[in-house]
Amino acid sequence: MNKGPHDMGGEEGGPIDTADHGMKFWEKQANALRLTLTRNRAVRLDELRRAAEDLGPRYYELEYFQRTTEALRQVLLEKGFFTERELAQKMAEVRKRYDGH
Amino acid sequence: MTAIRFNVGDPVQVKRADPPGHRRTPHYIRGKRGVIERICGTFPNPEELAYGFSGEPKRVLYRVRFLQRDVWPDYQGPQHDWLEMEIYEHWLEPVKP
Amino acid sequence: MSHEHHHDRTPATGPDFDSGPPSEHEIMSRAMQELLEARGVISAEEVRRRMEQFDEDYPYRGARVIAHAWSDSAFKQRLLADGKAACAEFGIDLEADRLIAVENTPQVHNVIVCTLCSCYPRALLGMPPTWYKSENYRKRVVREPRAVLKEFGTVLPENVTLRVHDSNADMRYVVVPMRPAGTEGWSEEALVKIITRDSLVGVTVPKA
Repeated sequence: MNKGPHDMGGEEGGPIDTADHGMKFWEKQANALRLTLTRNRAVRLDELRRAAEDLGPRYYELEYFQRTTEALRQVLLEKGFFTERELAQKMAEVRKRYDGH
Repeated sequence: MTAIRFNVGDPVQVKRADPPGHRRTPHYIRGKRGVIERICGTFPNPEELAYGFSGEPKRVLYRVRFLQRDVWPDYQGPQHDWLEMEIYEHWLEPVKP
Repeated sequence: MSHEHHHDRTPATGPDFDSGPPSEHEIMSRAMQELLEARGVISAEEVRRRMEQFDEDYPYRGARVIAHAWSDSAFKQRLLADGKAACAEFGIDLEADRLIAVENTPQVHNVIVCTLCSCYPRALLGMPPTWYKSENYRKRVVREPRAVLKEFGTVLPENVTLRVHDSNADMRYVVVPMRPAGTEGWSEEALVKIITRDSLVGVTVPKA
């Protein structure tokens, strides 16, 4: 069956944590980044959804903004906004900035 | 532009298809019968947009109302509860009432 | 006197940063944003403005629209007929979102979900709560909605029809709750205070 991990309506589930746990700063920023890119038509929301669905079993291992970040990475790579190497280099730079404090 | 095939109130059945790729018709509703609740308008096909295509020509999007008891054989609530969602025209087939 | 700089960190992230070391995904998200800014695809200002809209603007709009609908029945009818146009009339631009407003009555109660991802009328309500995006909500509310509502403390009589809306394509949804008894003559400002976000998704009802 071609049912993706996202297509979960009607499946067995557990109790719902009814509290709203809000968003971390980076999540708010990631959300704003995503919206800015879709509004500018740099990427389409449909492409981001598809990339999230293609995460396979990892879909369930990741939290919501981790999924959206990996999906965004996938689509931006596809469209050639940067290469894997450029992203890895920039991530190393960002990581150093946090650590080197 | 695609012709509007269904009117509000028409009985319809969701296709029993299982294509790969990005679809906005959840598996749980495929093969189920409902009625057209409204015509939402026409939109580019998300199944194409998801892969960088234009999604044109636009497709008609309908809202379809289902009785919960027609969706889940073991539905626990009252028999008059409903489930409603949007289904693209190419996922709908006519049903003789 | 103030200890605000005691746990200070590299000011790469802005005024309210998260505690603890950044996760891989935080680093990834920041790196992508910086690459895109450097290439002129987006500006830092655009992203900042969006964050502000989500913090200061969007979350407060829904309750104001509903309070107005409660106070002006002709507006309510327009909202139910064309959600986006009614919001625009009220000075709220929903941008790309299309809106269907569904009304609770003594006979009908509505609840919203997006089983496939987490579609939500963000330009009207702000960001969805964590429970709305959770697997257990997405899995269960379409199939056992009354049990799910009970977990939120909402019990519906058997004679009330429950409509579950799976927001699976291009429309977005907001519930127009019933105006509770005991609010007769209240101003819109007072009504806004009892219209909770959860009641606009349909898992709870407002209380006076």
